[in-house]
Amino acid sequence: MRGPTLLVTLLITALINGCGSSDINSEPFQQSQLLALGTLVDVSLWDVDTAQANQAIHDIDTQLHDLHHNWHSWLPGRLHDINAALAKGQAIEINDVELKLLQQAQQLAESSQHLFNPAIGQLIDLWGFHSDTPEGPPPASAAIQKLLLLQPRMSNLSFDDHTLSSNNTAVQLDMGAFAKGYAVDQAIELLKQRGINNAIVNAGGDLRAIGQRGERPWRIGIRHPKQPGIIAALETQGDESVFTSGNYERFFEYNGQRYHHIIDPRSGHPGSEALAVTVIHNNAAIADAAATALLIAGPKNWHNIAQQMGIHEAMLIDNELTAHLTRAMAQRIQLQHNINTVIEEPS
Amino acid sequence: MIRTKILTSADIIVICAALVLLPWLYSHFWGDGSQGETARIQVADQTPMIIPLQHSQRYTFDGPLGSSIIEVQDGRIRFVESPCRNQLCVHSGWLQNDAEFAACLPNLISITIAGRNPRFDSINF
Repeated sequence: MRGPTLLVTLLITALINGCGSSDINSEPFQQSQLLALGTLVDVSLWDVDTAQANQAIHDIDTQLHDLHHNWHSWLPGRLHDINAALAKGQAIEINDVELKLLQQAQQLAESSQHLFNPAIGQLIDLWGFHSDTPEGPPPASAAIQKLLLLQPRMSNLSFDDHTLSSNNTAVQLDMGAFAKGYAVDQAIELLKQRGINNAIVNAGGDLRAIGQRGERPWRIGIRHPKQPGIIAALETQGDESVFTSGNYERFFEYNGQRYHHIIDPRSGHPGSEALAVTVIHNNAAIADAAATALLIAGPKNWHNIAQQMGIHEAMLIDNELTAHLTRAMAQRIQLQHNINTVIEEPS
Repeated sequence: MIRTKILTSADIIVICAALVLLPWLYSHFWGDGSQGETARIQVADQTPMIIPLQHSQRYTFDGPLGSSIIEVQDGRIRFVESPCRNQLCVHSGWLQNDAEFAACLPNLISITIAGRNPRFDSINF
């Protein structure tokens, strides 16, 4: 073979051989999707035996369905029974898991200055969000004010060993801002107990990641709140949850106005000062509750509430699409758009 | 005196073919892989379906609320119709870049764009 022909042939061969390095099918990566918690749940696993992975996925599916049934905000289930007892002013026996979950929710409500307030189930129902297809119209102001005056709070609950009671019959629990995080935590704990240490559980967009993908960290994209695509990217470190609350998740439109599902317990109306809040924390339940509280707090007060809740890494996107970042978050995140940023310093 | 040709006709043909092939081979095998080439369609808890974005076509997927229509055109993909109330999925518009995502959560159907080397392992929203 002559020199030029040989050179060209070698070049083509080298280029074709290069494709082997990007063959993702050869990687020990598995991704399964479940229909659970009323949403799509992705479970991504790295380097796990197929039989072990299938068994773990099956068990997570069962676990999530049980949690969904027990903590559903408006369908009959355990939470429904607890709410019925609280409405009648009756005490009710709860188990270890329920005790732990409610006490954690009570502590988070306190540290968020009650911006995270799972006791306002009646208010959320009044807005029509105890439905798969909320459609409005928005409730009358008088009805909202009537419920606000009753001031249902998690601090109304008291625990006597495993007996739950409330000194306010207006308390109706809605764990929508907390249960998904708790469920993700439980799924990750199940994986860890099976010796699976490199995984992501993503429940309808909110996730907890453990370990990494081979030699590199898991890479997470945070969706833009106003358009398709990604607004920011980050790599997880060890064991971290990434939760976002946004005003685009559940809403209804009435007479041309949009009403989203995250209700401000102070005004009784949907929070209106921010588009989305993303929180990183090693506990998914805490990240879930904090993302809700910070969205309600809005750009003026979110950093103060984050500090009180022990949240160091958070980002708030305000209505003008300015990204407000904690100092720790600014060091972690790569914004994918040229948008204004404000870095909040600890007070 | 014997004259030796540096390039034969066969050499010229091979070199011309290579000049045509090399840019394609480079972009195909060594490109950044971030441009979406396929879309992963997930319907409820069924096995995901991978759709190439090179061929224009309409697909109909049945979820719990009814049928969602998804269109592929010019390397892009979008929800055209879906039976959900808010139509958030339809308003998401065209998706074409790696990791772009749209979902009709009420109808339990999601679209995720994937290049050969996906930039992200998971999307938070």
